[in-house]
Amino acid sequence: MEKVLEVQALTKRFSGVTALDRVSFDLVPGEIHALCGENGAGKSTLIKVLSGVHASGAYEGRVLISGRHAAFHSIADAEAAGIAVIYQELALIGAMTVAENVFLGAEPRRGALVDWHQMYADTRALLREYDLALDPTARVADLGIGQKQLVEIVKALAKNSRILLLDEPTAALTESEVERLLQIVRSLRERGIACLYISHKLDEVFQIADRITVLRDGRAICTLAAAETDKDEVICHMVGREIVDFYPRKQAEPGAEVLAVENLSVVEGGAEVLRDISFTVRAGEVLGLGGLMGAGRSELLLHILGFYGKRLNGSVRVNGRELKDHSPADAIAEGLVLVSEDRKRYGLFLDKSIGFNLSLSSLRQFTARWLIDQNREIRRNQALFDSLGIRAKGQETIVGSLSGGNQQKVVLGKALMTAPRAILLDEPTRGIDVGAKVEVYELVNRLTTQGKAVVLVSSELSELMGMSDRIVILSNGRIAGQFDRGQATQERMLAAAMANN
Amino acid sequence: MGNPIHSKITIRDFSIAIGLVLIWVFFALASDKFLSPRNLSMLSIELAITATLALGMLLVLLPGMIDLSVGSGVGLIGGIASVLIFEHHLPAPLALAIGFAFAILVWSLMGKLIIGQRIPAFIITLGGLLVFKGAFWLVIHNSTIPVSAGNTSNLYSLLTTYYFPAWSGYLLFAGIGALFVLAQIRARRQRRDHGFAVDAFEVAFLKTFVGLQGLLLMVIVMNSFRGIPLSVVILGVVAFGVYVVTQHTPFGRYLYAIGDNEEAALLSGIPIQKVVIGAYALLGAIVAMTGFMQTAYAGASTTTVGDLMELDAIAACVIGGASLRGGRGTVMGVLFGALIMTSLLNGMTLLAVSPELKYMARGTVLILAVWMDMALARK
Repeated sequence: MEKVLEVQALTKRFSGVTALDRVSFDLVPGEIHALCGENGAGKSTLIKVLSGVHASGAYEGRVLISGRHAAFHSIADAEAAGIAVIYQELALIGAMTVAENVFLGAEPRRGALVDWHQMYADTRALLREYDLALDPTARVADLGIGQKQLVEIVKALAKNSRILLLDEPTAALTESEVERLLQIVRSLRERGIACLYISHKLDEVFQIADRITVLRDGRAICTLAAAETDKDEVICHMVGREIVDFYPRKQAEPGAEVLAVENLSVVEGGAEVLRDISFTVRAGEVLGLGGLMGAGRSELLLHILGFYGKRLNGSVRVNGRELKDHSPADAIAEGLVLVSEDRKRYGLFLDKSIGFNLSLSSLRQFTARWLIDQNREIRRNQALFDSLGIRAKGQETIVGSLSGGNQQKVVLGKALMTAPRAILLDEPTRGIDVGAKVEVYELVNRLTTQGKAVVLVSSELSELMGMSDRIVILSNGRIAGQFDRGQATQERMLAAAMANN
Repeated sequence: MGNPIHSKITIRDFSIAIGLVLIWVFFALASDKFLSPRNLSMLSIELAITATLALGMLLVLLPGMIDLSVGSGVGLIGGIASVLIFEHHLPAPLALAIGFAFAILVWSLMGKLIIGQRIPAFIITLGGLLVFKGAFWLVIHNSTIPVSAGNTSNLYSLLTTYYFPAWSGYLLFAGIGALFVLAQIRARRQRRDHGFAVDAFEVAFLKTFVGLQGLLLMVIVMNSFRGIPLSVVILGVVAFGVYVVTQHTPFGRYLYAIGDNEEAALLSGIPIQKVVIGAYALLGAIVAMTGFMQTAYAGASTTTVGDLMELDAIAACVIGGASLRGGRGTVMGVLFGALIMTSLLNGMTLLAVSPELKYMARGTVLILAVWMDMALARK
């Protein structure tokens, strides 16, 4: 079959670092080709070359479109050649309607004016053709994240793209939204569109992909037919070693009660978001917190930290001391710390160095008479940098340039340096690769052996079951089920999560 | 990181230096008075005033705020001190102390309004600009109030008329030079001990050497007129203070963090309210200091003292590489930016450029500087 896209011996270097090393692979029409690899394996660089962000001439090797050499000098060149990228961070304008977004920059015109009628008619036709349930006149800001993803795809289709590059399209979607997206990608395949599908979620990859190419350290390790391989083999190629125990939870002897939440009810913007929530976490224990998106998991953690909502009722105690009307600074002083699911928004200082980020919450430890003892600070940063295995040149590296997994380690490091008693982890493994995930799990074990209490929020049921000592499921802001380790099954947890819906 | 031991020359630093050299060459060719010791001495006093205010502005730009009221504030605080001395016969030190206390209080309140009530700094300080201007004219009842009676001098008037004797200038140079060299050597050793990249020895030596030469040249030039002006020493103290605060204290780190990502800063346990109010309080003290110097330089409080100084201060920061979105900016950059603004104004005054053209030139330089910043950042 004719190859719609072929990459030959692509090499891309950044000031001495080889991001891609003689990578070759191809796409045929009507194929879903998955690209797997750990963070820093070179997936993002590859996408940037294919989408024209890295201009032709900035890399070695060749890109062929339908057999013809393609030299992209800009994103517009790549789009003209039929390549569209669906990024994990959506590039939509919230204040505009679906149709306006779809035709942004390519509005149909009548004379000098935008032909609105044509625009909405075209959008409607596209939506009908691909059987998508979207209203062209809806404001994008009012849509859910799954629907926004669809708008991105329709936008690509409107440009007559034959090659779609999907970069972690499901990272922020709920299970049912993922299902729908996969359905749509399959229907695109039937229409002869070639998709390059990048995802950390191997279950998804195996549901959908025809072929799988594994990248590791900038090299294409192998290309496998999905039907002839399995998850373990792919993981093995990705990390270059076999992962024996994916959830290495070692239970620790539970100690004294560290965090106690009692009859907690919280309002925000006039609506009651949390109702009558009670749980306790003891030293050395991991409490898993599950539930569907919007069940109130993140809101609960943010409220406990003193960042969100107004308390109607109930109490939060850390080591027996009540926290009320407190700021995050107060909570951190009591030994409570949060690692947010949205690390770029709530966790990181992207323009600053790793060292600046790591020590920011703990500067008091190095401060005497108003001045920071920089020698001690740098030594402490270095110790944490080494023990977390952050992969970067050094602590002066700017955080924005790190891969997702390494950024997550920086956020974790910032939290750990405060020497907390209880740690709230909100989706700590979202968007990071298999190897880094296991490192996070091992870190959780280290923390509980040190006698720290951990609250772990996760959307991945297998992660919840694998890493928690007890599990609480939230639904609509209430507790809908509690399970001990061993009692919990996927079915029982899902049933609880959907209970009040 | 806000690491002080960290110093790397970028294209941007060069472009500022080249711009500065071009401006100086142009004025030196256009007017034989520009490089005279007398004019350079005046220029240094003007620099001291503009740069001091700009350093205060840096403190609120770093957390992503702004202050448009500082120009009016300069007039008002200077005016209060003048009135206390000339009409109420208070001793000058007491009058200045009252001015400081009042400014710190008022600016803390503005900071509290901005961060506590979540009102944009632009609006609050724009209101401040108008309120302070009106209050200033009320205080001096639209007249001219001298900073000291008759031909006498007091602490207030001496701020811009006192010059250090020649020997103390050299002593100052020797002291600062020695400290500077020691600090460089120590910082270099620290960086190497921690395994950080350091400049080649030749480069580091050259930087230090050129820096010391410049300082010595300044002392010689100043001494060939009347000596080092007190206001330049005040600028030195303020600059050193702001440098220490921004680079060596938790408070300074927090300023950068808030400007970079305010939500993350709050969740990281930074007491945002206290930090921002603190930044405005420090700015208030600096506004008072600038107000005293600017009024003393003019000889009296008149209705135009402080006019448009907020724009010169913001321009100096932006030319010096500070970001209006917050999170970026250094003391060294602001000093260079202020030197560019001051040189332009001083040179144009020497050439008797009309006020109309002066305004237009100032504005053009600001726009050019920001445009260049953006263009270089994109590379």
